[in-house]
Amino acid sequence: MRVSIPHMGNLYIPLKALFQRLGVDYIVPPFNNRRTLSLGVRYSPEGLCIPFKLTLGNLIEAAELGADTLIMPGGFGICRLGSYAATQEQILHDLGYDAQVLQIGLSERKLLGFLELFKRLSNNAPWTKIISAFRFGLAKLNALDRIERLVQKVRPIERARGIANKLYVKAIKAIDDADSYDALKRVQVDYIDQLNEVARDNGVKPLIVGITGEFYVLLEPFSNLDVESELGKLGVEVRRATFISEWTKFTMFLNPLGFDAKDRIHKAALPYLKRDVGGDGWESVGEKVFHAKEYDGLIHLAPFTCMPEIVAQNIMSSTRENIPVLTILCDEQIAKPGMLTRLEAFVDLLERRRRASI
Amino acid sequence: MTKVGIPRALLYYQYYPMWRTFFEELGAEVVVSPPTTQAMLSSGSSRVVAETCLPVKIFLGHVLSLVGKCDCVFIPAIRSVKRKVYNCSKFLGLPDMTRAVIPESPPILEIDIDVNRGKRVLYQAIYRLGRHFNWNPLRVKQASIAAWQAHLNYQQLMSRHGLTPHQAIARISTTSEAEPEAHPNSLASVRAAIAVIGHPYLLYDEYVNHRLIHRLEQTHNRVLTPEMLTVDELESATVRLAGKARWTYDAEVVGAGGHYLESGADGVIGIMTFGCGPDSLMMAMVRRYASRLKTAPFTSLTLEEHTADGGMLTRLEAFLDMIYRRRRRQAEVCV
Repeated sequence: MRVSIPHMGNLYIPLKALFQRLGVDYIVPPFNNRRTLSLGVRYSPEGLCIPFKLTLGNLIEAAELGADTLIMPGGFGICRLGSYAATQEQILHDLGYDAQVLQIGLSERKLLGFLELFKRLSNNAPWTKIISAFRFGLAKLNALDRIERLVQKVRPIERARGIANKLYVKAIKAIDDADSYDALKRVQVDYIDQLNEVARDNGVKPLIVGITGEFYVLLEPFSNLDVESELGKLGVEVRRATFISEWTKFTMFLNPLGFDAKDRIHKAALPYLKRDVGGDGWESVGEKVFHAKEYDGLIHLAPFTCMPEIVAQNIMSSTRENIPVLTILCDEQIAKPGMLTRLEAFVDLLERRRRASI
Repeated sequence: MTKVGIPRALLYYQYYPMWRTFFEELGAEVVVSPPTTQAMLSSGSSRVVAETCLPVKIFLGHVLSLVGKCDCVFIPAIRSVKRKVYNCSKFLGLPDMTRAVIPESPPILEIDIDVNRGKRVLYQAIYRLGRHFNWNPLRVKQASIAAWQAHLNYQQLMSRHGLTPHQAIARISTTSEAEPEAHPNSLASVRAAIAVIGHPYLLYDEYVNHRLIHRLEQTHNRVLTPEMLTVDELESATVRLAGKARWTYDAEVVGAGGHYLESGADGVIGIMTFGCGPDSLMMAMVRRYASRLKTAPFTSLTLEEHTADGGMLTRLEAFLDMIYRRRRRQAEVCV
């Protein structure tokens, strides 16, 4: 059995660690590239969103490499993601790949669902082994996100542009290579120190731009043309609430116990949107309202045709908490120059607003 | 008397008799917006971002046309009407979205329908809605029972007599029991039986679909629609095609498509709007099933705001010609 999972940001690193420890043959699909996208676009029904197309591309490329058990996150919910796995499996079969697409129910099974899936994949490994592998994967996930947060802070204020990004690439590699808790810890401390020592412009107070929207396009830089790094180059500090580690912490461990980090966000959205509309629409509205005082502006990322985000976009423009919002719709037609022009104009606007308010 | 406005869009076609009975039982007067026009669509789409889907733009146009004509507008947020099967987000965000983009709209009467949260919550939601008209829980209960009965009658009228929602609503509204005019379906000179599948708000809004059903009937075709099937027929076909239904209105596309491909139709036309994700998935399922069964041809028409109907007519004619040719060939083989 050769297992593979579509890409989403750096998620492949913790998964690799996890599967290695379990002794499962895990194939990392080729990183998202033009070919992945065009494969996905060619074989998808036309009205579907970029997450479907890119993950389908990943699945096809993984199947080409010989993967026969493909895992697709999904679950019953209002987002159409719920039935992606079944459709993608049919498309793969039509293309002649005899691969099985397993769906992990994210919404209903939570932690137990994951552990059971890993037990099945690892050919009934003992629970202790599964749990220890799972813990190691989580440790890598947390390390990655900790470094990424720091990179977001350093990017806008570094004196020579690009150093933080270079360090980030190296750090990802080092975390990937770390094979024990000790090594992982050393790598983390090392890179956090290095990032903290990057020469900075001290007098600068960067603009703060929040970034919110649909989960996948937020976390997969290929789908949003690496908007965060581009904003960093323009001297903007990016704040993002969505991290895979945060999401895992809450959906798997804390939500079942009754803690929900999103409660505050939902409460903020209430005057404008009273109920969950599926996907991340409720959170998008909430983030705008909740952080209006703290952020200079907000970038709202959404896949083209994503209904929850369209509902959010329509409501966002009329809230009393008034910060500029730039909605960027991500699909296969998006191109870098167009996006950069819009980002530059947006940042100019924010700078002018800041100058006017002082 | 309070005037309750009901926009003639989206779920109107499924639930109008139920809603009307409920409000009238509670002593309110119901006002329905007129049929869709170009002006309504333009006024609705001027309020929202361009990516918003066509049915929602039309819905907002209907709400705008009700401004000043009623005391409140009824916009339910229907999350789920069957356990673990959810609805498209546009239905959930509808009341809040309307409030955000049409600030001048009359007060919005909303109700949350989610059967996953249990009967108690549902009853409470119904009472909260009814309380705007009558504080007495018993009266509200009576009204809701009458409304449910009206809904069942309406469904039966459509599935048993093969009526479209328009005809059924007309039949319910006229108190006289006069027989309706001979249904074109019963004509002897039927050239082909064409099934049209899709959501009621696309099939029965004549403005949106360029009078598709009318045109099919005029050229002596028998038109079959999802409403003419019983719930059981729809559900069993859905299970055969898609495994388990995931969206509330899966059945009217996947179920109806599957059923008509298996039996009875000479051709199946799927109608969807541009940018609708669930529909594009479901149409793909029906298309795949059609190419596997090879019983009847399938085509899907995607509707959007651009109003020229020439392109659609050309495709429709080509599709029909193909079906007539097929039928002639089959007839020759039989002889």
